Amino acid sequence: MMKNVSNENKTGKAIEYREALFKIIFLLSALVSVLSVIAIIVFVFAKGLKPFFGNDAYSFLDFITGLKWDPNNNVFGVFYMIVGSLLATLGAIVLGVPIGLLTAVFIAEIAPKRIVAILKPGIELLAGIPSVIYGAFGLGVIVPLINKISPTGQGQSLLAVICVLTIMVLPTIISLSESSLRAVPKSYKEASYGLGASKIQTIFKAIVPAARSGILTATVLGIGRAIGETMAVMMIAGNNIGGLPTSIFSKIRPLTTNIAMEMGYASGRHQDMLFATGVILFTFIMAINFTLIRITKKLGNEGPLR
Amino acid sequence: MNNKNYKNRKMQDGILRGFIYLAAAVTVSILLIIVGFIVYKGAPGINIDFLTRSWDDKTTFVNVALQAGKADTGKEGYIPSLGITVKEGEKNLVIVNIDKSSPVKDALNLKNSLYRLKKTDEITKIGSDNTEDLSFADAVQLLKESEGTLRLKVVRPGGGIIPMLVSTIYIILLSLVISGPIGIGAAIYLNEYAKPGRILNSIRFAIQNLAGIPSIIYGLFGMLLFVQVLKMQYSILAGSLTLSILLLPTIISTTEEALKEIPRTYREGSYGLGATKLQTIARIILPGALPGILVAVILSIGRIVGESAALIFTAGTIAQIPEGLVGGKASAATLTTKMYWLIKESGDLSAASSIAVILLILIVLLNVASKMITKVFLKKTGSSR
Repeated sequence: MMKNVSNENKTGKAIEYREALFKIIFLLSALVSVLSVIAIIVFVFAKGLKPFFGNDAYSFLDFITGLKWDPNNNVFGVFYMIVGSLLATLGAIVLGVPIGLLTAVFIAEIAPKRIVAILKPGIELLAGIPSVIYGAFGLGVIVPLINKISPTGQGQSLLAVICVLTIMVLPTIISLSESSLRAVPKSYKEASYGLGASKIQTIFKAIVPAARSGILTATVLGIGRAIGETMAVMMIAGNNIGGLPTSIFSKIRPLTTNIAMEMGYASGRHQDMLFATGVILFTFIMAINFTLIRITKKLGNEGPLR
Repeated sequence: MNNKNYKNRKMQDGILRGFIYLAAAVTVSILLIIVGFIVYKGAPGINIDFLTRSWDDKTTFVNVALQAGKADTGKEGYIPSLGITVKEGEKNLVIVNIDKSSPVKDALNLKNSLYRLKKTDEITKIGSDNTEDLSFADAVQLLKESEGTLRLKVVRPGGGIIPMLVSTIYIILLSLVISGPIGIGAAIYLNEYAKPGRILNSIRFAIQNLAGIPSIIYGLFGMLLFVQVLKMQYSILAGSLTLSILLLPTIISTTEEALKEIPRTYREGSYGLGATKLQTIARIILPGALPGILVAVILSIGRIVGESAALIFTAGTIAQIPEGLVGGKASAATLTTKMYWLIKESGDLSAASSIAVILLILIVLLNVASKMITKVFLKKTGSSR
């Protein structure tokens, strides 16, 4: 009898240890994400901020306000890239949000089931297409088209970037808006109909406003995607070494493509400066992430309205 | 007055409805134009050679022991002593047929290891004579008259995507092996163990942030940490490690969704039978969440296949089948990075589009697979989602 009890204790202890061990393993797995974020920030910032300190430091003010990027002559200005990135993103959002939202309304409220069954996988495909393919498409279709109408005779331009980015943010905006439109409680719709509103009025006066936080989330995610997009944009932006864009037909050089174009062969200060460009980009992305986290937190408090 | 109002409203509705249809039409036509363009540009370039060959031409010197006493069939281009039939290429001889007992199947390269000649291999040098300096008839004559052991310079033509396909698969497997267990473990922690508090908040915050970081930043980070600091050079391991971090948010959130779907009663039932938490997780929760985990894996594969910005500075753009995990021989281009390289460095849009067609097919297959898994899963659990 005594023996039995001690045995049970032993296996009980072993089980306890195993339980504790796995709990720690799971916790460590979860902490990998935290460590990764810290590591990314530390590494990118450490290298990116290096050129602005020390004996022959590059003036941070010159870097952030500079209108020219010429590594061979030790000129590193990113202001015109920031402007390019922001304009391209703004354009993509201004075009992408209305088209995306209205398409989402079509899928969620108007289209018959059979059309939805074709349309939704199509949009998922759009979301899954690698960005290089968008780049190839932009280079093969959009750039030649702009070539024909552009006064500069140059297809690679802000306009081309806006077109491709609009296409690239569409799937994000459509799918998120659609699910938030669907999440609006039925009672809202019924109440609106009960007041004598038409279907279209119900959609725009009741359902869309009720889903606005979800649509806002979609927009912010779209901004994030547009500002971070690299490969597609690089092929069609023109990537000029200096000068603010003066029209939609001007070449631009977004922050992302500045990094991707030159990282392959850069070294020394040039490489550090590319990381510094990454730091600027990262700062934008963090601002976007914080906004996003704010919104989603608010959503959590608001309850069922997604 | 009322009637006028009604008409106004009708008109407004009509205009708005028109906008909705217009937007949907724009979206659909964008999709059709993109897919149409890629297929139109790329499909003509896809053939067996494209799918089975290596990317670069490969030049090799081989020694072949000629067989004596075989009768000449008299067919044009047949070389009895080699057991092959050749035809005239642009500058050289192209092997079009090989006999079953041909000695070229035992050809040795200069390191004395076996290098079997294949159909479509091109002979560019016979002994010490370049074939481009000889007429076709002279070259055939020279081959027929040679005796003993003959040294040939052979070029195996490239132009295929095999190295990129293999590298892509390697990187997929490697990335999943690294990030799969970590991601699933993290999801288990978040859904089964974590209690509200600072740790949980910071983990969630980190995951949300990771999801928002653009891949070019991952590329920068991977290049700095794995390629330079840890001295892995451009290699599939450096690329996979970078991708593993990039995949974590996808895997964690998809797995977590799957874990949430497991009804509370299952857990309670398991505890009620005296099972421990770990046993419940291993025997009840994970098997139940398996379809969701599979979907997470498929989504990850989709992202890896489509990723390029994070890979060009970590895995490189060399079209070779990697031999090893780190170092120069482990550098490898995936399909997407090769596609980028083709457009950027050589301006070859049609070859790039051919790769794009393959990528599109892959993406469609992955989408269908994840749909099917979800469907089967929903049928099994009878959930009404």
